[in-house]
Amino acid sequence: MASKSGRAVAELETEKSENGRELMLGLYQMLVKCRMCDEKARILFRQGKYAGNFYSGVGQEAAEVGAAYSLREDDWIAPSHRDWTANIIKGAPLKLCFAQLFGKATSPDRGKSTPAHMGYPPIHTITPASSIAGQLAVGTGVAFGLKRLGRDTVVVSFFGDGATSLGGFHEALNFAGVHRLPIIYVCQNNLWAESVPLRLQTALTDLSDRAKAYGFPGVSVDGNDVMAVYDAATKAIARARSGEGPTFIECKTYRWYGHSEIDPAKYRTKEEVEAWKKRDPLVLFEKVLRDKKFLTDELKDKIAKGITQEINEAVEFAEQSPYPDASELKDHIWAQE
Amino acid sequence: MARTLTMIEAITEAMAQEMERDERVFVMGEDIGLSGGVFKATAGLYDKFGEERVLDTPLAEGNIIASAVGASMVGLRPIAEIQFADFITPAMESIVQQASKIRYRSAGGYGCSLTVRICCGGGTGGGLYHSQENAAWFVHEPGLKVVMPSTPYDAKGLLLAAIRDPNPVLYFEHKKLYRTAKGDVPEGDYTVPIGKAETRRQGRDMTVVTYGYMTPLCLEAAEQMSKSGVEAEVIDLRTLSPLDRDTVLESVRRTNKCLIVHEDKRTLGIGGEISAIIAEEAFEDLDGPIVRITGPDVPAIPFAPPLEHAWMVNTEKIVAGMQKLAAY
Ligand SMILES: Cc1ncc(C[n+]2csc(CCOP(=O)(O)OP(=O)(O)O)c2C)c(N)n1
Ligand SMILES: [Mg+2]
Repeated sequence: MASKSGRAVAELETEKSENGRELMLGLYQMLVKCRMCDEKARILFRQGKYAGNFYSGVGQEAAEVGAAYSLREDDWIAPSHRDWTANIIKGAPLKLCFAQLFGKATSPDRGKSTPAHMGYPPIHTITPASSIAGQLAVGTGVAFGLKRLGRDTVVVSFFGDGATSLGGFHEALNFAGVHRLPIIYVCQNNLWAESVPLRLQTALTDLSDRAKAYGFPGVSVDGNDVMAVYDAATKAIARARSGEGPTFIECKTYRWYGHSEIDPAKYRTKEEVEAWKKRDPLVLFEKVLRDKKFLTDELKDKIAKGITQEINEAVEFAEQSPYPDASELKDHIWAQE
Repeated sequence: MARTLTMIEAITEAMAQEMERDERVFVMGEDIGLSGGVFKATAGLYDKFGEERVLDTPLAEGNIIASAVGASMVGLRPIAEIQFADFITPAMESIVQQASKIRYRSAGGYGCSLTVRICCGGGTGGGLYHSQENAAWFVHEPGLKVVMPSTPYDAKGLLLAAIRDPNPVLYFEHKKLYRTAKGDVPEGDYTVPIGKAETRRQGRDMTVVTYGYMTPLCLEAAEQMSKSGVEAEVIDLRTLSPLDRDTVLESVRRTNKCLIVHEDKRTLGIGGEISAIIAEEAFEDLDGPIVRITGPDVPAIPFAPPLEHAWMVNTEKIVAGMQKLAAY
């Protein structure tokens, strides 16, 4: 895939770095964790364990993990509907993530927000509204506030290709450009906005071209190559942290399943889906790790087993957690004074 | 020490004093810095506090509010200005989906201490898009406080209360009152409680519930009625959300009649809600129908003087409403 970051030729800095092995295994582990948690979330929905809906990010893990993996504890993420796993990457306990799906009283928002729309204030992930591009505007506001406070913390904002059509997207990026805000706009271009294909969303080929209009750099990367995303993100994060301003990163990727769990996605061809599944970000990265002899069958099994156990415990916790009491309906409308 | 100030002077003073007192407070909006605001509400602030704290924003109401919401989430206290209530529509997403719901949807994990100053109201020849009030839209949104002062004293005290409030507060300013409302304003620090109405005139014969620019008109109408022996009690709501139901109900139970006066459109306006509250809570105390004198159900205030005049509530129309009610 053509890449403006020069991925095709340049040796990645990630691979060169001294702790390359540790870092790459960490990325791998996180990819597997996001995949397994997401697949579990889908199964639980199909089993009728929770109502509402879920927006699977399977197929897009490299974009999510690559962009958020190197964030500091005090950095922020403004996630959208397909970024439930952003909480996992940022360090939210799995128990809370699954309690979120179930709408239980033990979830960070005590069952108020919908399953996939998760935030966790202690780790600075912003509970998103469902209105597309809304979280992007508020995340920009947080970056604005952080800059005013003189902090060197940054915000990663996740959104899809469809979100780039909204007025709020333009307003936010324009403002971020004017004030060189410490924010990284990570667009997961999965070619579809629900059932609307990219060609009816925009006349652009590379969504990163949009950044030109706002006066900051934009790059398009292979969103299924976790190291390509990671490299672009670490550069953008360093840039934001040092006060140089925002970066737009387009991750070209694909969602394997329907827009949500109730969408059979009949608008896409089998060929298109199969072609992308052949470029599974986990399989691609596994090959890199095996070539480097970083990953063995044994280690792979061990990682999967550890995550399975963690997921099982989390699901059990979620299932056993109580629902919020009806008396909580009117809690948290107003600040406690 | 109190001096006589206009309402706009009281508003400017409140912002200046609070910015002096609290470093977290800053002002943002269109044309508020270099020019000091279309109505000069922020006059002098730019020179005093600099661009850092008096920020001219891009022309994008949605982003003015969204960025203020985000800034408040990290502990700042933004005062955002919407130049005209007519142009609050691009900020609907930011106000009703973000500001009013961020606390609820995070179960208190994130707060939003935000003041939005909104210039509103007709009667100045502003035409369709420089005259709307639009406050009622936001009264429908729990999680938002909505206030509108009618005197310079309240303007300062309510604005200071709004900035210090940990919730998002929409602070509506009627442009016709900016320089016509004059009154004593203490130099020092004080707040007017949000959620408390003020009885501006005592009277035994009927309760008049109103707010904002309609308040002085109702007081004038009440004086006229007094000449024919009808004493109206005039309640200035000051806060539209949360409504001070107790003050309204206590008064209606005494006077047994209620007239509601507002400038904004009639259907599903504040008057409709107050009528419902009275019907639910004080039905048996009523000696006559609830009467509403309001703006008409017309899209917006048209420009031509006779058309604007026909829209606007004035003293004559209020007196007519009072006479109708007095007959019961
Ligand atoms: C303002 C708004 N309009 C419509 C919707 C319904 N909706 C939810 S997701 C979505 C598509 C989003 O596409 P994209 O931004 O590409 O993200 P993706 O779902 O592909 O991750 C739509 C139309 C919404 N949530 N908000
Ligand atoms: Mg998409």
